[in-house]
Amino acid sequence: MSIEKGRISGSQLLFMFAGFVQGSALLVDFTIGITEQQSWMVILAGLVMMVPFILSYAALAKRFHGKNLVQINDMVYGRFLGKVLSLYYIFFLSMTLSFNILDVGELYKNFLMPDTPFIFLLAVFAAACAYAVAKGIEVLARVSHLFVITGIFVIVSTFILLIDQMDFSNFLPLFELPLIRIIQGIHILSAIPYGETLVFFMIMGRLNNTERAAGYALGGLLIGAMNLLAVSVRNTAVLGRTQSIWTSASFQSIRLIDIGTVLTRMDFLIGIAQTILIFFKCSLFFYALATALSQLFGLKSYLPLILPLAGIEVILAATVFQSPVDHAVITQNAGIIYSSPLIYVFSPLTLLIAKIRSLPGHERGGGT
Amino acid sequence: MIFLLLIYALIFAVTAPGLIKRKEWREFAAFLVMYAIAFGLGLMYVLDIPIPSPMKGLQYLISDKLGLKYPQK
Repeated sequence: MSIEKGRISGSQLLFMFAGFVQGSALLVDFTIGITEQQSWMVILAGLVMMVPFILSYAALAKRFHGKNLVQINDMVYGRFLGKVLSLYYIFFLSMTLSFNILDVGELYKNFLMPDTPFIFLLAVFAAACAYAVAKGIEVLARVSHLFVITGIFVIVSTFILLIDQMDFSNFLPLFELPLIRIIQGIHILSAIPYGETLVFFMIMGRLNNTERAAGYALGGLLIGAMNLLAVSVRNTAVLGRTQSIWTSASFQSIRLIDIGTVLTRMDFLIGIAQTILIFFKCSLFFYALATALSQLFGLKSYLPLILPLAGIEVILAATVFQSPVDHAVITQNAGIIYSSPLIYVFSPLTLLIAKIRSLPGHERGGGT
Repeated sequence: MIFLLLIYALIFAVTAPGLIKRKEWREFAAFLVMYAIAFGLGLMYVLDIPIPSPMKGLQYLISDKLGLKYPQK
């Protein structure tokens, strides 16, 4: 039984992947304090490291065509262990969604609308995501290219406007950081912007053709990663070593745009682009969470759970961290460690077990 | 508090009648469970009752008890 009837195409998957990774552009800041001027290297290394795992997601989607993660877990690990694993996955989705809603709240509270009550910002944003999710995955997929184009436009235009203020000697010296900090940076990057694409386990089952899923997923990941790279290069080239002292390096660098005293205060561009992209990312997380829970409960539709889930996520977002510093410290340690088994272990393991047990056996459908 | 009650009354009014009319009892039960959790958390937030953070618990377990953490700068 499927709780979602919508179908998405390969090219829509590509844009969804790209928009999803772009939605993490502000989260590159988590690594800046650790990897400083070498953040760009960590972005590329994290991308290379995640490629085999993304391929394993696509291979699972192809092998279990039309099935979502909860169904795959039940088939591979059995009903009990499969449900336990699905609960772990649902916990990850729920927590990560609350962090992303919190990111939007902090963005508005710190930079755009400081006098508006924090809980109101969170509630309005969650309600907008709930509305998008209620419309179904097809609607989100159909507009995904618009989100990606908006994100690329803002990054390219701000990059060009800041070129005269860039100093590429800010990237020197290379390879001076201790190895452990590089490893932590790669872990953060691979777990947050790239590893969170785990959410597509609940979406790839809706593909109308899984034959080229891996190519589309990797293409989208590459577009998203190039955006993160451009953001990191821009911030380092403009701000240099001072980038680690700002609350948001992206906002600070954009504030330096001053073209003939006419084009100034362009930080609203980042505000608009990030709101749109995090909205897209949160909607995908919300969709995955609602469908995974509905599948776990054996429901016919995920729609009844949307509004209560939005209420839970708003309170989680408002209470999960005491401060932005608390947010950064926990995310850089426990936050990336607790999700590591899901990102790096279970998808290849599931694929291996499925191959050994020749799953899904006679139920296995074609890839069309 | 009034906003909370109004919002949750609205959520119930929007979702529950359709489920009852279509006799989707399993969906209705799942909705009620999630609704009760959401309302309970909302009430605790409004009444300033501390809500335990799952991430604080994980931080304690992973970093403090198991010692799994990256060295600080």
